[in-house]
This record gives sequence, C-alpha cells and structure tokens, in this order.
Amino acid sequence: MEIEYMDFLSFEPSTIVGTLLNALILFWVIKHFLFDKVNAVLKQRNDEVAKTYEDADTALNNAKSMETQYMEKLSSAKEESAEIVKNATKKAQVRYDEIVSDAKDDARGIIDKAGSDIEREKKRAVNQIKDEISGIAISIAQKVVKKELDSRAHEQLIEDFIGEIGDAT
Amino acid sequence: MDNFTINGPRVVFKFTVGDYTVRITETLFNSWIVLIIVSLLVIWLGSRLKKVPVTKKQAVAEMAVNFMNKLVDDNLGIGLRLYYAPYLAAVFILILAGSLLSLFGFRAVPSDVSFTGTLAIMTFFMILYNKIKYNGFGGYLKGLASPAVLTPFNILSEFATPVSMAMRLFGNLSGGAIITSLIYAALAGASAAVYGLIGIVADNYYFSFLQVGIPAVLSIYFDLFSGVIQSYVFIILTLAYIKNGKE
Repeated sequence: MEIEYMDFLSFEPSTIVGTLLNALILFWVIKHFLFDKVNAVLKQRNDEVAKTYEDADTALNNAKSMETQYMEKLSSAKEESAEIVKNATKKAQVRYDEIVSDAKDDARGIIDKAGSDIEREKKRAVNQIKDEISGIAISIAQKVVKKELDSRAHEQLIEDFIGEIGDAT
Repeated sequence: MDNFTINGPRVVFKFTVGDYTVRITETLFNSWIVLIIVSLLVIWLGSRLKKVPVTKKQAVAEMAVNFMNKLVDDNLGIGLRLYYAPYLAAVFILILAGSLLSLFGFRAVPSDVSFTGTLAIMTFFMILYNKIKYNGFGGYLKGLASPAVLTPFNILSEFATPVSMAMRLFGNLSGGAIITSLIYAALAGASAAVYGLIGIVADNYYFSFLQVGIPAVLSIYFDLFSGVIQSYVFIILTLAYIKNGKE
C-alpha cells in the first residue's frame, strides 16, 4: 500500500473534529480526575487549618474570659472578706460599747446603792446614837434627880434636845 | 538529497462513509497516543489523595493544580478557575506532549494546521463568549464599531486573533521539523562527501556518521524548548485574550 501524505498546509475535517473531541475529552479527564480531586483535598485542608485556628482562638478567648472571671471573683472575695472584717469590727465595737456602758451602769448602781447604804447606815447609827444618848441622858437625869421621871414626857424632851444637837452637827 | 520533500501528516488509515473518505492522519493518531498516556498519568496523579500529603506524587499534583489555579486567578479574577484552569491545563498538556512526541520519532502533533487551527478556534469562541457575556451582544457590536472608521479593521482583528494563534504554533513546530530534516539531509550529504574524499564508494546504505550528535542539540531546541515555550505562550495568550474580552 502506498503511503499517502496530506498537503503541508491542509485542513482535514476528521482531524479538526478529532482534535476537538480530544481536547474536550482531555479537559473532562483533567477536570474530573485531577483538578476536582486536588481542589477538594486542598479545600478540606484549608478548612481544617481554618478550623484549627478558630478552635485555638476560641480556647484563647475562653481562657481570657475565665481569667477575668476569676479576677473578678478574687477581687469580690477580697471585698467580701474586708466587709466581713469591718462588720465584725463594728459588731465587736458595739458589743464593747454595750459592755462598757453596762459596766458603767452597774458600777453607778453599785455606787448609788453603796451611797444609800452608807446613808441608811449613817442614819441608823445616828438614831442608835440618839437612842443611846437619850438613854444615857435619861439614866444620867434619873441619877441626877433620883426620881422616876415620867419617862415618856422627858424622852420627848430629850429627843428634841438631841435633835437640835444632831442638826447642829 | 534530490528526493527531499516536505510532507504534511501521513494518513495512517482511511475509510469511506458513503461518498466521503475519512482520513485518520498521523496528527490525530499521535494525539490519541498523547490522550491515552496523559489520561493515565492524570488518573494516576489524582488517585489516592490524602488530606495530609505524604507522597511526592500528591505534591506534584497539587503544585500543578495550584499553578494553573493561580494563573487563572491572577489573569481572570477569582471564581473562574473551576472550568478555565482544567481547560487551559488540557490545552497546555495536549500541545506540550504532542510536541514532545517528536523526541521519540513521531511527527509533532502541533505541526499540523488542522490541529492548531482547532485549538485556536476554540479559543476564539471562548473570547467571543466572554466578550458577549460581560458586555452584552449590543456592547460587543458597539465595541466593534467604536471608532466608526476602524470598524472593518476591528472585525478583521477579531478573526486575526485565532489565525495568528494557529499560525504561530503551527509555524514554530513545523518550522522546527523542517529545519531538523533539512539538517539531517545536509549532514547525510556531507557524510557522503567525506566518504568520497577518502575513497569509499557510498551507496544508499552507508552510515551517515555526521548525523550522530549534531541533530540532538537542535532537537533539544526545536522539540523540547520550542514545544514548552509555545504551549505556554498559547495558554498565556488565550488567558490574555479572554481577560481582554472581559473588559
């Protein structure tokens, strides 16, 4: 069979149609078997990297918010303890004042009682002394006048006399 | 020497459908080889991908995909990579692998104007689609007639774009092939002359020793370098025209 050549510059319809089909087939093969797959893998990887970054950011934010939360709690605890101490101090102060004023009242009561006791004792002692003096005076007078006196009338007399003395003292 | 001819692609086989003869040329046949090899390579590259890359294979695949994605993002803006990136990759690899086939003694696929013309027409329609999509059909027509005097030139330049793209690729690759075969023929002649000088009668089956080594250097330029550069230029131009069409 003789070898047949095309012309050097020739348009052969079967070559044109065949080349068109070849290009389309190759396009489809490259798109479907290489580009789509590689793009999918790259997208997956990018998504994962983005997700990792996002997770890290979230974790960081969480840590930060927790830190501020703890700081707030810590400072509020400090305030609370200061408050407690203050309250306790105030209460103690109140209690102290109470005790002191009670003690003062007690002491005043005791002093008053002691004063009135003393006064009463003094009165009793004075009365006793008056009685004794009047008795002595009566006995002196009995001895002096050697005569039984109307004790009641004279007693009155002597008491007046002693009362004058007592008032004078 | 005297029978040196420059041929188009060889017809590998042909069959008739009714009155019409379908010729399957070397170009189409070779691009099928490219299609099969590249498809297998691509399927292998895209298989068993892990979220955390452990294989070099995956690193290569990701690098290639990222490169194309970035190219599209940089030129066309974000959000268009879904279809443009694999399309440009397909065109790039088709041209590149097609020209690298010449390293293995096959005819370079892009040295057929039917092939480059088809790719250029695809690009042309893509540019047209983008122009109409972003400017509206009326806006597109208005753009063509914007300085009214230049309307014919504008229309001409619309069609000049795919023609220039097709011819650039075709000219570079087929030119390289022609130069390479010219050099081969010249070196064969030079070998024969050297044989004649030292008294050996050269027949058709002598060994052209000068053909060893020297063409390899040219092959590195015309097949490898030119193929890589031209396939890259093609997709960059496609991107640039589409970007231009969007504005």
